[in-house]
Amino acid sequence: MIDEGSVAHTAVDVPTHSVGGRATQSPAIHTVGLSKRFGSTVAVNSLSMTVERGEVFGFLGPNGAGKTTVVKLLLGLARPTGGEALVLGAPLGDRETRRQIGYLPELFRFQALLTAREVLRLHCRLLRLPREEWEQAARQALETVGLLDRGDDRVATFSKGMQQRLGLGVALLGTPTLVVLDEPTSALDPVGRHDVREIIRGLRERGSTVFLNTHLLAEAEHVCDRVAVIDKGTAIATGSLAELLGRQTRLRLKVGGLGEDWWTGLGRFGRWGREDEWIVVDGIDPSGIADLVDQVVALGGRVEAVIPEHESLEARFLELLGRR
Amino acid sequence: MNPTFTIAALTIKESVRRRLLLAFVAITAVIVGLSAWGFDRLAHSHRITSGENHVAIPDALILFMFMFSFVLALSASAIASPAISSEIESGVLMTVVARPVRRIEVLLGKWLGLAVLLAGYAAFVCALEFVVVWWTSGFVPPSPVLVCVYLFAEGALLLTLSLFLSTRLPAIAAGVIGIAVFGAGWLAGVVGTIGTGLNIAALRTVGQVGRFLLPTDGLWHAAIFYLQSPSVIAEHITEGGQGSPFYTDTAPSWAYLLWVACWFLIVLVGAVASFERREL
Repeated sequence: MIDEGSVAHTAVDVPTHSVGGRATQSPAIHTVGLSKRFGSTVAVNSLSMTVERGEVFGFLGPNGAGKTTVVKLLLGLARPTGGEALVLGAPLGDRETRRQIGYLPELFRFQALLTAREVLRLHCRLLRLPREEWEQAARQALETVGLLDRGDDRVATFSKGMQQRLGLGVALLGTPTLVVLDEPTSALDPVGRHDVREIIRGLRERGSTVFLNTHLLAEAEHVCDRVAVIDKGTAIATGSLAELLGRQTRLRLKVGGLGEDWWTGLGRFGRWGREDEWIVVDGIDPSGIADLVDQVVALGGRVEAVIPEHESLEARFLELLGRR
Repeated sequence: MNPTFTIAALTIKESVRRRLLLAFVAITAVIVGLSAWGFDRLAHSHRITSGENHVAIPDALILFMFMFSFVLALSASAIASPAISSEIESGVLMTVVARPVRRIEVLLGKWLGLAVLLAGYAAFVCALEFVVVWWTSGFVPPSPVLVCVYLFAEGALLLTLSLFLSTRLPAIAAGVIGIAVFGAGWLAGVVGTIGTGLNIAALRTVGQVGRFLLPTDGLWHAAIFYLQSPSVIAEHITEGGQGSPFYTDTAPSWAYLLWVACWFLIVLVGAVASFERREL
């Protein structure tokens, strides 16, 4: 369900999943009333959310909404001024937990005088991967992000987009359980964006959790299982895309074999109207579409086309922001 | 490998690739080469007596090493002041500290890498210059290794201070403050020396307090002591050389060296604490 701005001011009470009566892993991320102030400026305002393991979670919001601050809090790079949070079941900043987290910062640079392969080896070393795995891990990361042929070039010669690809490769080292991507496609061309989406889907398939921080709604719409919309440091809506976009939708029908205004008795499905050769039903519950088609057939109609249209994420996003 | 050593090795590798070492080695070789000519002229001059030469060569060496102590200290400040702040600004550190490493390991790794570079440069300069002086004049300082150690320690103190400042201040501010503090410490030492020579207690106190607050000048004077043979020191005492900033007749006391070690530890612990608390 959509949880619009609900806030719980309680101690962290970690939800667990139950499989066959056994409690299993804690959520990937769980925050309760997480807050961050910089002097009088409130960057994050009592944020409560849960990101389940294995899902791709979109963290959406306009520029300056506090998204990157939340990421920094989750990674222990900044300290919260209020609230609590657990990442992979551990308190914020836990050093051993960071071994299981891959992170692509929004603004970053790698050591310009190292080659891409050396950067990856450095991070293998910092992750304390076994030395014999370094070469293979570096090669695999370069291959995944499409930089295999530039592996021995210095980072200083890389474009911003290539650095972002390398950053993604670094974030994928060590098969992380949780991958935090902060605006991962901001410097990428359309091909790069497509590649990133494929990488995210690949991560989901192997069971990793992806926390995708972005202001590019199309990106979220393509890959996210659930999203949270944040504005002025507060979550104003969370849920699956279907939940966020609402259960009501618009249905376009093309029906033959019936006269004018044949839908008079079907007002319970929504608001009926006509657009050129199409009949339009606004505000229909998606679960009622099959029933409506049955009714049309029962009236003797010939159903030629049924096209459900959802509200776009962008429209919903703007609506949410405008409402505040 | 421990993350501290990983960061230290990275720091050294980056410095080498920046051609920092190459630049230092090249300019040092040129200056030492010129000094070889100067020491040769001085050692074989017919205008001064062998007795005067006995004092002139160590004095010239002290002046020369003073210049290098300055270069060493300023270099230490220059390489340490951007070590943390610039990497925070550019985002390089963001990818490192998000890894399972402690911030203390990152900071100590930076310090260790820079200190190794500094020690290498101090050893290179001292070895080269002492060989040149021995070759041209036959003079060998009584304790060349201790001279090198004290010059390195002087640079290492400034390196540590600049690294501390770098955890909070932009590189340029950290560098300027580090160099200004070093200059003030040296000046306080000169004032103290003048106070000793003229027997003015207030000025002498300035020197003593200065060496306590920032021990770089005290370490420089320790290096001076080990650059001079006992006979030269005796000669200076006879001539009333106590008023010269390039002269000392006493080795550093253990109590002072203990204070230097404490000073160093306090600043290093301060740097670690500051970096630990720094939000990125």
